[in-house]
Parts: sequence; C-alpha cells; structure tokens
Amino acid sequence: MNLRILLSSLQPVGGSVLTNGVVVAIVILLHIQIATYITGSSTLAIVSEAISMARKDERHGRLAYMMVKSQVQIFAFGSATAILFVLFLLTGLWAIFWTALQQITFWVMVFEAAFFLVEIVLLYSIYANWERLGNHRRARLGMMVLLNITLWWQMFLIDVVASFMLTPNAGDVSILNQILNPTALPLTIHRTIGNLAWAGAVIAVIGAFNYLRLTRHSRVPTPDAPAGLRPLRSIGAMAVGHLETEAKRAEILHWEWVAQWGVIWAVALSLLQPWVGYSYAKEIQLHAYGAWYTLMFGSLSNVFLIQIFLLGMIFILGSLFFWRRMVRSGAPGAGRQLALMVALILLTLLAIQPAWFAGSYADAVAAGGNHPWWQGGLLNPIGNFIPFKVAALIGMVIFGLWSVTSYATALSRGHIVPGGSSRGAQRTALILGVTVSLMMMVMGVLREHSRQPYTINGEITLHQQITNNAPSSSSVDQGQP
Amino acid sequence: MIVSRWLTRPFKARMRGSAAWFEDRTGATELLHKGLYEAVPKKGGWAYALGSATLALILLQLFSGIFLLLDYVPSVTDAFTSLDYLRTSDGFGAWVRGLHLWGSYTLIFVIGLHMVRTFLSASYKRPRELNWVTGALLFFLVLGLAITGAMLPWDQAAYWTTVVVTNIPHYLPFIGDGIRTLWRGGEFVGPITLTRTFAIHIWVLPFLMFSLIGAHLYLLRRHGEFGAWVNYSTDPNEDEEKQIGERIRRAEPPYPTKRIARRYSAPRETVPFFPDQLIKDVVMSAVLIAVIFVMGLISGAPLDEPSNPATLSYVPTPEWFFLPLDQFLVVAPTNPLIAIGVFGVLGIGAALMIFLPFIDRSPERRPLRRPEVIIPALFMAFTVIVFAILGISRLYNL
Amino acid sequence: MKKMSRREVLIRGTGLGMGLIGVMLSVPAVGFLLSPLFTKQKLTWITVGPIDEVPVNQPTAMIAEVPVGTGYPTPPVKRIVYVVKKRDGPTLALSNICTHMQCDVHWDPSLGNFLCPCHGGLYDIDGNNTGGPPPQPLAQWVHRTHTDAQGRTILEIQNQLDEHI
Ligand code: HEM
Ligand code: FES
Repeated sequence: MNLRILLSSLQPVGGSVLTNGVVVAIVILLHIQIATYITGSSTLAIVSEAISMARKDERHGRLAYMMVKSQVQIFAFGSATAILFVLFLLTGLWAIFWTALQQITFWVMVFEAAFFLVEIVLLYSIYANWERLGNHRRARLGMMVLLNITLWWQMFLIDVVASFMLTPNAGDVSILNQILNPTALPLTIHRTIGNLAWAGAVIAVIGAFNYLRLTRHSRVPTPDAPAGLRPLRSIGAMAVGHLETEAKRAEILHWEWVAQWGVIWAVALSLLQPWVGYSYAKEIQLHAYGAWYTLMFGSLSNVFLIQIFLLGMIFILGSLFFWRRMVRSGAPGAGRQLALMVALILLTLLAIQPAWFAGSYADAVAAGGNHPWWQGGLLNPIGNFIPFKVAALIGMVIFGLWSVTSYATALSRGHIVPGGSSRGAQRTALILGVTVSLMMMVMGVLREHSRQPYTINGEITLHQQITNNAPSSSSVDQGQP
Repeated sequence: MIVSRWLTRPFKARMRGSAAWFEDRTGATELLHKGLYEAVPKKGGWAYALGSATLALILLQLFSGIFLLLDYVPSVTDAFTSLDYLRTSDGFGAWVRGLHLWGSYTLIFVIGLHMVRTFLSASYKRPRELNWVTGALLFFLVLGLAITGAMLPWDQAAYWTTVVVTNIPHYLPFIGDGIRTLWRGGEFVGPITLTRTFAIHIWVLPFLMFSLIGAHLYLLRRHGEFGAWVNYSTDPNEDEEKQIGERIRRAEPPYPTKRIARRYSAPRETVPFFPDQLIKDVVMSAVLIAVIFVMGLISGAPLDEPSNPATLSYVPTPEWFFLPLDQFLVVAPTNPLIAIGVFGVLGIGAALMIFLPFIDRSPERRPLRRPEVIIPALFMAFTVIVFAILGISRLYNL
Repeated sequence: MKKMSRREVLIRGTGLGMGLIGVMLSVPAVGFLLSPLFTKQKLTWITVGPIDEVPVNQPTAMIAEVPVGTGYPTPPVKRIVYVVKKRDGPTLALSNICTHMQCDVHWDPSLGNFLCPCHGGLYDIDGNNTGGPPPQPLAQWVHRTHTDAQGRTILEIQNQLDEHI
C-alpha cells in the first residue's frame, strides 16, 4: 500500500500548528492524568482489598471501595477526553499523520479500544454489586484483578503506539517490531511505576483534603504538651471541645491514615524512576539520537532540569511529611529523618544545576562560552550529567529509600500516634500530589517535543510532510561538554 | 572352624549377627537414626523442602559435571571441538550437557527461592545467624560457578562472557589490573585464561562450596529448623505465657532452641524428619530433576559459533541470571561511576546481604512487622526485575 | 630466660613445624600463581595489508592474524583493525576493543559513531568516547606503515595497544 497516494487526498482542517498543538496537549494531558490514576489505583485497590481480607481490617476495605468508586466517577470523563482527541482533534487537525498512524498500528489500536468495553463492563459490575458481593470477597477480588489486567494491557498497547512514534526503528512496521520497539518496554515500565506513584499521590491528596476539611474549625493542638502524650491528648481535647461526635473523630483518623497510605506509595514507587528513566533515555540515545540530543543538550535540556527538580521534590516532600508526623508523635528516628531530608535537599541542589547557562549546549558554544564559568565561560562542569548528576540520583534513591523505610518502621513499631498529625503535614501531602501531577505534565511535554519536527520520528513531520530520511544525526554536534 | 560355625547357624540369626557386628563396629544405624528422626516444625514443610532441593541439585551438578569431564578438554583450541564431538558423536553426551546446563539454571532459581523463604521467615535471626552467612556465601559461590561454567565451552557466547567478566576487576582501584592479569594469565584473554577458569570451576569453587555446605547443614542440625512464624503463633484467647511454657516443656530435641526469644524457641507442633518432611523433600527434588531431565533432552545446551575475537556483528548476551547486573553496567557509565557502581553499590549490597542477621536483630519474625528489611528488599527485588526487563528490551533491539 | 615446660616446647614445636610446611608449600605455589604478573607478553609485528583503497572519513575494518603472546603456544587469533583516514591529520589504526568491558565495537553509519553492542558505548570517528559507559577513547594498535615494491602503503601492527585499557 502506498501511503502517499492514500494520504495525499486528505487535507487538514485549518488552524496553526501551534494552536492546534496547544489544544491537543491540553486535552491529552487531562486524559493522561485521569487514565493513569484509574490504572494505578486499580492495582492499589487490589492491594488494599487483599490486605483487608488477610487482616480482617475495615480501613483497607473502605479505602479499596473508595478507589473503585472514584474510578467509576471519572471513567466516563476520562474516556470522553480520549474520544475527543482521537476522533475529533487528531482526525481533524492532523489527518494525514493520524491516518498513517492508524494504518500502521491498526491492530494495536483495535485491541486497545476493545479493552474499553471489557473495562466498562467489569468496573460497573464491581461497583454496582460491591455490597452484594460482600460475602464473596474472593470473587470480587478476582473481578478486580481482571479489570486490572485489562487496564494494564490497555496502557501497554497505547505505550506501544506512543513509543513507536518516537522510535519507529527505521519505519519497520511489522506488528512484532511495533510491540517490541526499542522504547516500548522502557516506557511501559516507566509509566507502570509512574501510574502507581501517581495513584498513591491522588489518594494522599484525597486523604489530606478530607482531613483538612474536617479539622478546619478545631483548635490546633497545644504545642507545649509532653512529646509522647501530646497527640493523644489533643484528640481528647478535640473530642470534648470541638468534635460533635465520636464518628467525626473516627473520620479524621481514617483520612489521616489514607493520606499517609498514599504518601508512602507515592514516594516508595518513585524511588525506582531514576533507574528506569535512565535506561529509557539510553534507548532514546541509541535509537532516536536527535530526540535524545534535544533532551540532554538541546533546547529541552533546561526543561529537563525542572523534571529532576520535581523528582527531588517528591522525595523531599515525602521526607518532610514523614518528619512532621514523627516529630509530632515523638517517634525515635525523627532526627534521622530530618538529616535525611537535608541530604535530599543538598542532592537535589546538586542534581538541578544547569550544565550551561544558555538555551542549549550549542548556544553556549556559539556564544564562545565553551569553558567553565570560573574562566568566564558559560559552562558549569558541576552540572554535568556524568558523574555528578548520576551520583546525585543514586544518592537520592538511597536516602529516599532510607527515609520511607525509617517511617514505615516507626509506623509498624507503633511510634506514630494516630490522630497526631498536624495540618501542616497534610498540606505537605497536598503539595506532593501537585508535584507528581506537574511531573507527569512536564514528562508529556518533554516526550512529545523531543522528536520535533516529527510526529512519527523521522517519518512524518508536524506539518504532515512524509519524509523518507531517518532523523539525521550528522546535523547535530555530538561533542560532550 | 569359625566359618563352619557361622554356616551352621540359621540364616536370619546369621544376618542379625553380622548386622549387630557392623553396628557395633561402625554405629551406622545409630547415626542414621539420629539423622532421620529429628523433630522439624509441622507447618510449612513444602517451603522447607527448598533447602534439600538445593542440595539435591548441587549433587546433580557434581554428577553430570563428572561425566562432562570424561570428554571435555580445557584448551582454547580444543574445548569447542571436544564439546562439539560430545554433542554430535557421543551417545548421550548432548543430554548430559543439557542436564548440567538446566541443572545450573534450576539451581540458581531454587537457591534464590530458598533464600527468599528464609528471608521472609526471618530464619536468620539469633542463634541462626551463621546459617544465613554460610548460605549467603554459598549463593555467591553458586553464581561464581555458573559464570565460570559459562566460560568453558569457548564458543562465541563463552568467549565474550570471559572477556567481559574477567575485565570487571580492572575497575577496582590499585589491585584491579593485577587481578585481571592473574585471571587472564596476561593482559588479554589467552590460553591460560581458560585453564585457570577451568581450575576455578572444577576445583576451587566446588571445594569451598562443599566445605560450606557441610557447615551449613551442621549448623542447621545444631539449632534445629526454625521454620516460619506460623509454627509459633499462640491462641489469643488463652494466656500466652502458659501456652509457651507448655510448648517448651513438651519440646523434643533439638528444641527448645537456646538464646532465642521464648516465644520462638519451640514450634507448636513438630513431626519427625523421616518420613513426614523427607517425603516432601523427595517429591520436590524429583519434580525439579524431572524438569531438568526433560529440558536437558529436548532443549539441551546450545553451542554457538567457535570463538572469534574479530567480529562486527556478534551481539554478546549475558546469561539470563546476569542480565540485571549487565543492565547495571549500562546505568553506571564512565569513571569513576563504574567503580562506584560495581564495587561500591553492588559491594555494599552484597555486604548488607551477607551481614543481614547482624543488622536486623529485633526478635520480630512476621514479615509485615519488619518493614525495615522488607521495604529495602522489595526495592531490590523490583530493581532486579525491572533491570531484567530493560535488559531484554535493549538486547532485542540491537 | 624462663625455662619452658615440656608441654610448651611441644606446642611451639608443632606450630613451628606447621609453619614450615606452610612456607615450603606456599613459596612455589604463590610464585607460580603470580607469575603472569612478571611474564612479559611476546611482541611481534604483523602485516595487515595495503591501505591505499581505504576511503576518507569512512572507518574500514581490516582483519589481522595476531599472536596472543602469552601462555603456551597457540595459533594466532583474528583481530580487527579499524583504519580511519582523515582528509587532514594522521591515519588511525583503531582497535575495536571497547574500553568499557572490551567487547567488539563496530562502525554504525546511521549513528555516525562506533557502537558497542554490549552496553551501548559510543565513540566518534576519531575513537573519542561520546556516550554510554566507556571511560576512555578507543586505543590504537601500535602501528607503522611502509611502502612496498608496488608502491602501496602497507599497514603493520604490533600485538599491543598504545594505551592501557
Ligand atoms: C548450596 C546452597 C544451599 C544448600 C545446599 C542449603 C541447604 C539447606 C537445607 C537443607 C536447609 C534446611 C531445610 C530448609 O529450611 O530449607 C537449609 C536451611 C537454611 N538455609 Fe540453606 N542452603 C543453601 C543456601 C542457602 C542460602 C543462599 C541461604 C541464604 C542466604 C541459606 C539460608 C538458610 C537458612 C537461614 C536456613 C535455616 C532455615 C530455618 O531454620 O528455618 N541457605 N539450607
Ligand atoms: S563493553 Fe562496550 S559499552 Fe560495555
């Protein structure tokens, strides 16, 4: 089949590439935030429900239900955004590109879309029969697992399409090559972990929001009470003075616990991201050199620093949250948590240094600033990826792991007093949620922009010109600063 | 005189007499009895069969390895040819090679499971710390055997494995180059590399390994099988102290284990090792060996092209169990990160693993109550899995 | 000096005897083990071939039969010499041994780089490491050229590299 003949008859609907791009970006980012939450939380719901079954624990069961309910609430909207951009925006604004992609990845997309049907059926039957299946929790869990499998498969298939756009592997369009294209698996793992972390962050936000809502009018616990007893007493004080009922107190405890549950997941899973992200970037380097160069040396290299900053913030905010809870509870190890936070801040500062004070490496060279800043140049060797940033990332992972572990240990030893949270800690959880959300958006922008001017790397441009030349690498300067 | 007297006694009495004589001179039955009738915890016996399955697989490796030695020639010019001959011309040669290869794969898998299970059940805690330390050393020895074994065929896969693995010491400061030269018998891979690796594979490591296995099993018998927390729970409706006291009073040797929290010193119920536990051990080993037997026959062991140091198209792929480590080399680029990654991070990881019992010293045994070790372990496990997947994807697309 | 008891003499004697055995055994064993550290590789010159046909700016692989020079005598092994001719500057005789873990790298025209299949190391046309794990540039074979009777330029290499990798 000759794509050119087929496609030359299609003309795009008007509008500039820029405005079209902005519109599509907004809708897609919205869709991604919803879809990733649904996928990630479907797994966390299973975890929560399984813990609830194993330990006969009410809280986890309630949390699982909350997640399922939230999935139902946003599922329709999430799918609607998908339909909007697939059926209208892409078909209308990028007809040639989109038709070509549809043609190439036809089977992948058919299965991807088919999963929607299965998901709708499963999700709504789980939700609608939640109470009824209360006596058959294994069956219910089984359905949740099925739903979960379809969601992850769907994500994998759409990742295949997205990664194929970046690394089409010299235009080899066989199905196997699409599915195993160089960045398909790295992207999938990256997103799998990211989705779970994001779902954790959303749950933390929900918990923190409800906690803040419920404690809005209550007095802040007195700061001068003896450490170990303070939180318990403050709960008592609240119960007497400001809480109408025991039920409300139980609610506060529940949401506090939910927020903490979410924060732990969000931080713990993000710990894997640097490993995965690095390997992912390596594949881009080998199979889409131009895009990689744009990300690391070119016009997006500074945007990438924002990404590293946000990653560092996840660990710092997590540690801050843990520290605040530990201090309030008088838990042993609070001092260590503080030290870890300081270390994480320092490492983040090391990691976010720009390697050049210019738009890109080429700009720095063009401006004649190809030497260190202390010799009056525009380069900052301490901002080099190797070895400084890699070392900083390794350090971040190790200290972040330590931070989560030490909080979880305090928790399991009963050193974290339920109801002992400050409102500030919960606000930290809110900010953490925003950080993860921002991170996903920046990631999306980075990925989609790195392969410009192409929509399918090396094959079709943003202006829907079909090219036959592979993205050239000779046009970029390959020197390392 | 004596012979005729012996011959005139009834047959049964004759046998009983000689058995008694043998027992009197050797104490064999007593020893066997001691070995077989030891008490072991009742619950979770299938999980405890992993240890003896590991032992069975190691013995299988010894067995198949001896047979391979009947043909194999450890020389750079003849190793490949001798194995090619073994494969094509020697009756059951291909099968025996298959047994050795699939045995090693299964062994690594099973020893990993054994480690995971003793980790989860916190069997390594006081007083069984050295069970764990010897075990962890055994784990590294098995990996060492696997990787040196992979070098012996001297085909392309083996040659490039040799090149990469013997080059790793190069990044160790000060003594690294010396170690590389000693192993290779020169600065570059050459004829001595193979003979030295061969000696390590068939003498040095097995010698260390069998000594350590002896120590591991001796320690096991000394402290008794710990089992897992399920054997130590108490009925929450009754007085815990009383239940534990009762349990300790009824305990059979080797329980109650000394120097251990009272609660965990004697299992609630025990069974004799023979036949209750042994049947599970034997079934597990038999199933595993059956798998090896079949895989060894139908899949066998591959033999690549003969080694060729001048290639522009060959893609060296590590053995599957080293794939995560290979990916680690990808994420630790250039100096000094290679040294930091390989010797710093991995070295610290290995040290943490070996000395785990001295780090995690709380009396708690239930996995979910030990987040201080479970979370880092989960992190490591995920890292390994993720690295493996990334490695596969990378190699597929080369 | 205090007089030693008979028991003490025996104990020390045992220790001494064992130590002596240890020393006697370890001198030859350790010496033998360490001998590769002190044995020099045997160096030879090997003719690779004429390089007049090699195009400019296009690394070209040539194969040489290189004696190993260590251990018991074995036949020479094949090795690759990447001849790189530049419009200006000297002609290079790059080894294709990756400086990371010594896999065989190859010239990848679409990347415009030497690519190492093992961990994705990259080197530019001059052999400088430009990406991935390699810590230093590709080494060159120690080499020289001469002109033969037909007027061709013949490349010769020695079985050693000009840099320690
Ligand atoms: C050559 C390899 C090994 C052999 C032949 C071996 C054999 C055994 C056997 C037969 C047992 C008793 C049955 C059981 O609990 O499974 C055992 C127990 C044990 N092994 Fe291993 N093992 C090996 C490697 C390891 C490794 C790699 C570790 C951990 C790093 C380890 C740690 C332990 C511990 C802690 C116990 C005590 C379990 C308890 O008392 O509950 N072993 N081993
Ligand atoms: S051996 Fe070449 S990159 Fe590792």
